[in-house]
Amino acid sequence: MTEVTLSRRGFLRSACCLAAAPIFTPVTFAAMPGDNRFVTIVLRGAMDGLDLVQPYDEAGFARLRPTLALTPDKGLLDLDGHFGLNPAAAGLMPLWKSRELAFVHAVSTPYRDQRSHFDGQDMLESGGEHVAEEKTGWLNRALSVIPRSDDRKAIDVNTSTELILSGPNDVDVWASDSNLRTAKDEMQLLMRLYAGDPIFANAMDEATRANGAAMAAEPDGKRAERIVDVASLTGTMLKGEYRIASFSITGWDTHVGQAGQFRRPAQDLAQAISTLKATLGPTVWSKTVVLAMTEFGRTVRQNGSGGTDHGTGGCAVLAGGAIDGGRVLGRWPGIGDGKLLDDRDLMPTADVRELAAAMLYRQFEVTARDLTTKIFPGLSFDKASQFLRA
Amino acid sequence: MSLSFPTMAAIRFGYGFRPGEVPPQSKDQLLGQVASGARSAPSFLSDGIDGRHQQIADLQEELRELRQSGDEQARRDKRKAIQKRVLHGFQRDANARMMQAVLSPNGFYERLAAFWTDHFSTSANKSLPMRMIVPLYEAEAIRPHLGGSFRDLLRNATQHPAMLIYLDQAQSQGPDSPGGMKQKKGLNENLGRELLELHTLGAGSGYTQADVRAAAMVLTGLTIDRRDMDATFRPGISEPGEHRVLGVSYGGAKRSPKDYLALLDDLAVHPKTAEHISRKLAVHFVSDQPSSEMVVAMADAWKKTDGDLMAVYGAMLDHPAAWRDEGAKARQPFDYVVAGLRALNAGSGDGAVGEFMRAHQDGGDGGDATMAPKAMAGQGSAMGGDAGAMAPDPEDAAASKRRKALQTARALGQGALRRMGQPTWLPPSPAGFEENFSTWITGSQLAERLAWARRASAQFGKDEDPREFLKATLADAARDETIRIVAQAPNKISGLTLVLASPEFNRR
Repeated sequence: MTEVTLSRRGFLRSACCLAAAPIFTPVTFAAMPGDNRFVTIVLRGAMDGLDLVQPYDEAGFARLRPTLALTPDKGLLDLDGHFGLNPAAAGLMPLWKSRELAFVHAVSTPYRDQRSHFDGQDMLESGGEHVAEEKTGWLNRALSVIPRSDDRKAIDVNTSTELILSGPNDVDVWASDSNLRTAKDEMQLLMRLYAGDPIFANAMDEATRANGAAMAAEPDGKRAERIVDVASLTGTMLKGEYRIASFSITGWDTHVGQAGQFRRPAQDLAQAISTLKATLGPTVWSKTVVLAMTEFGRTVRQNGSGGTDHGTGGCAVLAGGAIDGGRVLGRWPGIGDGKLLDDRDLMPTADVRELAAAMLYRQFEVTARDLTTKIFPGLSFDKASQFLRA
Repeated sequence: MSLSFPTMAAIRFGYGFRPGEVPPQSKDQLLGQVASGARSAPSFLSDGIDGRHQQIADLQEELRELRQSGDEQARRDKRKAIQKRVLHGFQRDANARMMQAVLSPNGFYERLAAFWTDHFSTSANKSLPMRMIVPLYEAEAIRPHLGGSFRDLLRNATQHPAMLIYLDQAQSQGPDSPGGMKQKKGLNENLGRELLELHTLGAGSGYTQADVRAAAMVLTGLTIDRRDMDATFRPGISEPGEHRVLGVSYGGAKRSPKDYLALLDDLAVHPKTAEHISRKLAVHFVSDQPSSEMVVAMADAWKKTDGDLMAVYGAMLDHPAAWRDEGAKARQPFDYVVAGLRALNAGSGDGAVGEFMRAHQDGGDGGDATMAPKAMAGQGSAMGGDAGAMAPDPEDAAASKRRKALQTARALGQGALRRMGQPTWLPPSPAGFEENFSTWITGSQLAERLAWARRASAQFGKDEDPREFLKATLADAARDETIRIVAQAPNKISGLTLVLASPEFNRR
């Protein structure tokens, strides 16, 4: 156990510096005994796993994604001779080399067919097998079966907790109240929303051109600063008495001009993870698992506007000193003819909930029975899980 | 009719849909809301009408004692304490006023209450006691009378202390009256002018400056009893003689309230008044450029019934133009905020919004909507951060939490209305708030509305599915493109925000 104690005074001071972090939904923490740490990062908007971790060696990849597919001679960072990392996430390469980073390809929740963000995120966070099956978050239900001290005072429970950590167990929340600015994917929807109404389109145009307008898309520099702030706050809390934290990174809904749009959130993800490591320091980092996951994948083929649409199989990111990384995990289904789901999506070969279950099992000794009944009802999970070797 | 009746009724003639509330299904139901609205006492006076009269009398007494108190420093401190209390109470009234509109099942009545309070504008900014008087004015002079004859409404509004103070009638004295000659005070034309220009005939309707002056003369004597804070008539300051307004003589050797009441009654049934106010109603409810046939039909109903307001509303609702061209109006900020809170107000009883706003409507820090210009949408000035920065001590955590909730409640309520330019009971002029589209749909306005939409969605929309929310909130008013876009939003809060930011939600 580290000796750092974080006073509430100190916390509030650091929280206030983060006041305006807009890209994140609330950061949620839970304290408990033991030394292991677990951070989940929800990548909202459906991260394109095939853009982050590209099967550049795969026949047909470049044909399916004429402008999105990269190769090592175009800047892609080779991982294992088959997959390469999007250069926007280059900040993760040191972790990859020190075997503290893994990617898990072709995973998904049991959610199929409808491809709605709301349903997808609902399932990812609630951990159910069907939409709206569970009303609480799996990470909160996990707290019920992990022995923990219950005398924690809330830092701020005024703002709402994200679903993943909401439920009967008290958690502490820090939330930015000024979540007013707009990620680029959302901005495009707003533009479309007003496109058919000239008066509103003009007003929107005026608003976005006005310096500092509340709706303006987050300037990249500011956004990066805030990502660092949120990640270092999370790290500081975990270094103290907290053991579980969750926050989100938005901006992944890349229907149009993905090459440009994807760069920002991918950099954010790399920045968030490397800041966590730097803040936690080597001792705590060695006991930490970071799991970043998204509600579903995107289409394997790029669309007519240089983007991708909602798909199924996605990619999860594992990081931390407690994992055995430096590998791309999961069963790769391929992208050749006849291998895609509905001839459009990467075929999911594993349930992302199993990955989360494996991490809970390892970090907090949650039993397989609790995992498959209370936390992820209907999931099959046992000690033979491929993800326990991660 | 391009949209279904309930949708038009809820959105154009009410404050929009609220989950669990059945929208009006017929014109009779819509009109029926006026009677049922008038029957229920408004919730924004915490101690009712009598209680408020008492509070105002107490305040007058306190202020009187204050003026007589000797010690300068003690006087300043006392004055500060009184101010704080009154501003605080005003904030509570204003929040409750907004929540009255959110929670009331009588949307048409609530819209009319806002319309008439704005038509007979008074501002709480005029003086400290006015912070207590203006809410009382809406409760006793406007709300009970807006379903009766315009004559009664005009009499009640004109003779209320709020109007007499706001338009300086309390200062007006007949120059040749005994009181006026003794005090060397004279005529104040303000009420006389606004009575003709704004409250009845309308600007450009043909009256002259001589009519304005004569009307002001007829009104002399009408003043307030400051102790009871009630209207009174003082013959000693009433200008003697006859005064001709629009060719009709009022007054005589012995002046009495009958004179100005006769003037008000004549103005109430004047054809120009019928036309002016019918048009204003049509502009408020239906279109910035309303159909002239509809306005004529309303004015005809007015003339036929000597200003029976139910007949006028009925004529508006009976006209086909009232049910065409949906979305022709921009929701004013108050409409926008109330409609948004109604849409998000799921849950039993007063719903999530009602519970939250009630729990946190009491500022507790003497804050006032006009005096606490906290940035909401500005960059880097987050409420949360400020609250954190103000709470350096662990023991303050609970207080800090409470303060944050208060700030959120304020930011979603009066704070938003102030930033959007329509704070409750604080109109910019006797002409009230602007109506037209170009005032309310601008870049900065849209930025504020988007910021509000996001904040409100995050606060209240956690359990809402945006697709269901869209259906419940806009029904058949939602365009196909909006339905598509909302379904594509990258997360729930974005989806809800898009619904509330959509052109359909900002139009009515």
